[in-house]
Amino acid sequence: MSSYKIPIGPIHVVLEEPIYFQLEMEGETVRGVDIRSGHVHRGIEFLAMQKNIYQNITLVERVCSLCSNNHPFTYCMAMERIGRIKIPERAEFLRVIADEIKRIASHLFNTAILAHIIGFDSLFMLVMELREKIQDVKESTYGNRMNIAANCIGGVRYDISSEQAGFILNSLQAMKKPLEEITKIYLHNGSVRRRIEGIGVLTKDKAVEYGVVGPVARGSGIAYDVRADCPYAAYNQLSFDVITENTGDIKARAVVRIREIVESISLVEQCLKALPEGPTCLDYMPMIPGGQAIAKSEAPRGELMYYARTNGSDIPERLKWRVPTYPNWEALKIMLAGCKLADVPVIIGSIDPCVSCTER
Amino acid sequence: MSSFLKIILQNLIKGPSTEKYPFGDTFEPAGLRGKLRFNAEACIACGTCEHVCAGGAIRITEAEDCSGLNMVIWHNSCCYCGLCQFFCPTKAIRHTIDYHTAHKQEDKFNYAERGFIKTVPCSRCGKQIVPAAQELLEQAGNSSDEIKDLLSMCEKCRQKETVIRGALRNV
Repeated sequence: MSSYKIPIGPIHVVLEEPIYFQLEMEGETVRGVDIRSGHVHRGIEFLAMQKNIYQNITLVERVCSLCSNNHPFTYCMAMERIGRIKIPERAEFLRVIADEIKRIASHLFNTAILAHIIGFDSLFMLVMELREKIQDVKESTYGNRMNIAANCIGGVRYDISSEQAGFILNSLQAMKKPLEEITKIYLHNGSVRRRIEGIGVLTKDKAVEYGVVGPVARGSGIAYDVRADCPYAAYNQLSFDVITENTGDIKARAVVRIREIVESISLVEQCLKALPEGPTCLDYMPMIPGGQAIAKSEAPRGELMYYARTNGSDIPERLKWRVPTYPNWEALKIMLAGCKLADVPVIIGSIDPCVSCTER
Repeated sequence: MSSFLKIILQNLIKGPSTEKYPFGDTFEPAGLRGKLRFNAEACIACGTCEHVCAGGAIRITEAEDCSGLNMVIWHNSCCYCGLCQFFCPTKAIRHTIDYHTAHKQEDKFNYAERGFIKTVPCSRCGKQIVPAAQELLEQAGNSSDEIKDLLSMCEKCRQKETVIRGALRNV
């Protein structure tokens, strides 16, 4: 059989963001893959060292739109760790609410995109219509559909009144039944199953070897979730399951995401029920002394880690982050090897790659 | 497949779920972070908004005739993050729910919210100072006549006056 090379990207209809894959083909089968990135490098790490600690809250929120809450959240945690700031208890719960609402929206988006990639656009529309409910929650609670601007150093910038809590609870309640319907489609619909079952398999051994995180790891049977293993904010006061699947294929990753949405809905409900009274942030503008710290959190795509070093001035000396897609896209080499050309976009979509986070 | 046909049928009966905007109403919640509005009366020119603005959309400069300070907020540089509103001590800078930002290409550098913070002369030495806004005094609680008198002075005169008054009180 003849072998040849085929490029996918950097601009391609199924890729949400620019990344270049050079596939070594043998007939219809992928034999090797070379990933080349750097198309959306914007120099944000350098820029973060030119701006002051308050401006950086806004800057890091714009690294990526789908995990846009986790970046300032983790950044603020790192800064608070340096400054030894204890944030109010109400703020801890409000941070969890913001994070889980963003996670629901992000997971629904990837679930929808998966349907779009396999060419099932009616299902794509159905999931996006459901996502609109959570978008309305974000818009009315935080004032924006994507960049919710919930965090500040020392707490959160928003508060939830009992009226708003009612609106959030009603919206989440209204999502439960359609979500069950969507779960059934992903589990049982023949057109979907034929494209996602047994394809792009990442075995547990390989997942450990490549150090994958987030739904990719959990889809391969590794029960690693920062929220459970290294609790931050109010997660140690809440109960939730770490969802895992054992098959390690595209379907496993999709099912992990859908089932995590259910867990996230329950987490928001628990938070709103247990929300303590009190202030939501510090009543002064915090100054951060010199020092360094690491903070990590579970972004929708997996573990997000921030390193921050300050020198006592309000401009940080170094900000560095490791995003979940960085280990995950290396594992694509395993998932893509031996698959058919037509399955390549589905497999790429299934790791929920966030190129703008990774290249920043 | 039959399960999905049921959903299609349900959606056909339900009709479109998109909104008819701009020909009809759309979802505009009260907390929407839209274009910024500036209230010069409440501003104390502390410069916090300018300091925290990541986009550099806010600039406070002294007027040429020294009669006050010019405040400019460029809508095209604003990224609607809400930090200025959050840190503003008197809430002189606020997000409105107006998100309509269409304007002509030739206006793109002038598309801004402007304000003029008038300064007043110090009651003792005559140096121009930014008066304390009512909103700030309300936060400080009851303000006596003595405090109001001190507020009409510049920083240096206020220090001098406080020392003199304190000394007289101890005599």
